[in-house]
Amino acid sequence: MTTRMEGALSDLIVDNMSVGVFVVDPQFKVIRWNRFMQNRSGRSPADVLNRNLFEVFPELPRAWLSKKFESVFLLKNSAFTSWQNRPYLFQFQHDRPITGGIDYMRQDCTFMPLIENGEVTAVCVILFDVTQAAMISYEREAALAALSESSRRDGLTGVFNRHHLEVRLSEAFTQWTRSGSDFSLLMIDLDHFKQINDEFGHLVGDAVLRMSASRIGELLPPTAIFGRYGGEEFAVVLPSTLLDEAMEIGQQICQAVTREPVQCGDSQVKISVSVGVAQTTSAIKQYEMLIKQADGALYLAKSRGRNRAVSSLPI
Amino acid sequence: MTHEHMLSEDQRDALQEIANIGMGLAGARLATLLGEFIQLSIPSITPVRVEDLPAVLGKFVGDQEFVTVVRQAFTCDVRGEALVLLGDDAIPELWELMGYDPASDTLDAASEQEVLIDLSNLITGACLSCMFEQLGRSLTFSPPTLMGRRVSLTQLLRPEAMAWDLSLLVEVKFSIENHTFCAHLVMFTGEDSLKTLKMALDELLECM
Repeated sequence: MTTRMEGALSDLIVDNMSVGVFVVDPQFKVIRWNRFMQNRSGRSPADVLNRNLFEVFPELPRAWLSKKFESVFLLKNSAFTSWQNRPYLFQFQHDRPITGGIDYMRQDCTFMPLIENGEVTAVCVILFDVTQAAMISYEREAALAALSESSRRDGLTGVFNRHHLEVRLSEAFTQWTRSGSDFSLLMIDLDHFKQINDEFGHLVGDAVLRMSASRIGELLPPTAIFGRYGGEEFAVVLPSTLLDEAMEIGQQICQAVTREPVQCGDSQVKISVSVGVAQTTSAIKQYEMLIKQADGALYLAKSRGRNRAVSSLPI
Repeated sequence: MTHEHMLSEDQRDALQEIANIGMGLAGARLATLLGEFIQLSIPSITPVRVEDLPAVLGKFVGDQEFVTVVRQAFTCDVRGEALVLLGDDAIPELWELMGYDPASDTLDAASEQEVLIDLSNLITGACLSCMFEQLGRSLTFSPPTLMGRRVSLTQLLRPEAMAWDLSLLVEVKFSIENHTFCAHLVMFTGEDSLKTLKMALDELLECM
């Protein structure tokens, strides 16, 4: 192959590959600008060549990017940028204007030194369009987040499930042993739930559970951790809340749940809950003991006629 | 380590020598770039068995519980991987050093990662290139990737999942004068590359 042909072939390849290629000299003057760069930037070689890169593209992060170039000139080594840390260098449009949903083309770049007689005389930048891979990665992250969220939720009521509730209660308990900031736990049980199921059927029972969860959830403070503990039993962790305040919330819950009957088709179902309330004390050594305390109080609430909140006996 | 993989005393001395010279060069180049005085320790060269890897690396970082690790592959006729183990508490002081503008840039998780990855690339690139230059070889590097941020070494490197038995490990400690930042560069060559490396060292010895 002749040198002329070799040159022509290189030009053909550089201009037609679907990656960006450009070259700057030590003064950041652009000395090569391939067709990909031309098409994506809307700037022709005539517009860009022999001009300072940062003058043509003032939106580039100059301080940082010139340091990057300098590192290649000085160390004679490649440098890299990744979309994962810096989504893009140039504000280029991507190929998914309709289905994309992200602002600019995601880019990975490699900065390579041109070494002549032991000195770096120019830096060649190869710019890869990685929008597609980035979007798959974004989608995967979103799917993982959704999956992780749904693994914490109770399918029927949408509140936290028992596993997550216990994890959070255990965390709150550990936190309390360090900080000493007391907190309270409510155990909430639907009254006569078995009868409701027997009388109206399980679909109505489900609706009652959902409605109760929604009425309770509405009046809880934003810091509360609310979950379904078992069949018709819910639990609420109330951070930084003392027994008196927790009792008040417990009473509000009773009132809110029983305020009006649940309408299910033609049936009107009267519902109420009993609430057991317990607070951390020095006698409580594990979080399970706190549950036991609140459960004991719940038992008292049931035996005293239901539809009420009762606080646990001090131990 | 079986006999055929073992470096002879001469080979070992030669490797130590080119590592010393390489790190000297690398330190000077990094100092020019960063505008700070760079300290690179005398490289230590040790054969390591795969099962000892977490423990050996743990010793380098002073048994810190959590480390941040950036990985890169390097290739010529000798192939291997380089890991940079960093303490990432010092990110804010590296920030300006790496050309960020504190007035307009914001230090978020992504740019923190970028600082760590960029600096690791500089250290790896400078040290390994300068070292292999002495053997008349120019390396190409893969883009650096973050293997883990504030993770335990045992979690990160699971010897049972690695497909090699032993490797030659070169370690150097990097620090910047008047900064708390410190990093360890660890370079491994695979078993298949050891033979090539030994031949290259022999060639070098013949020229001496």
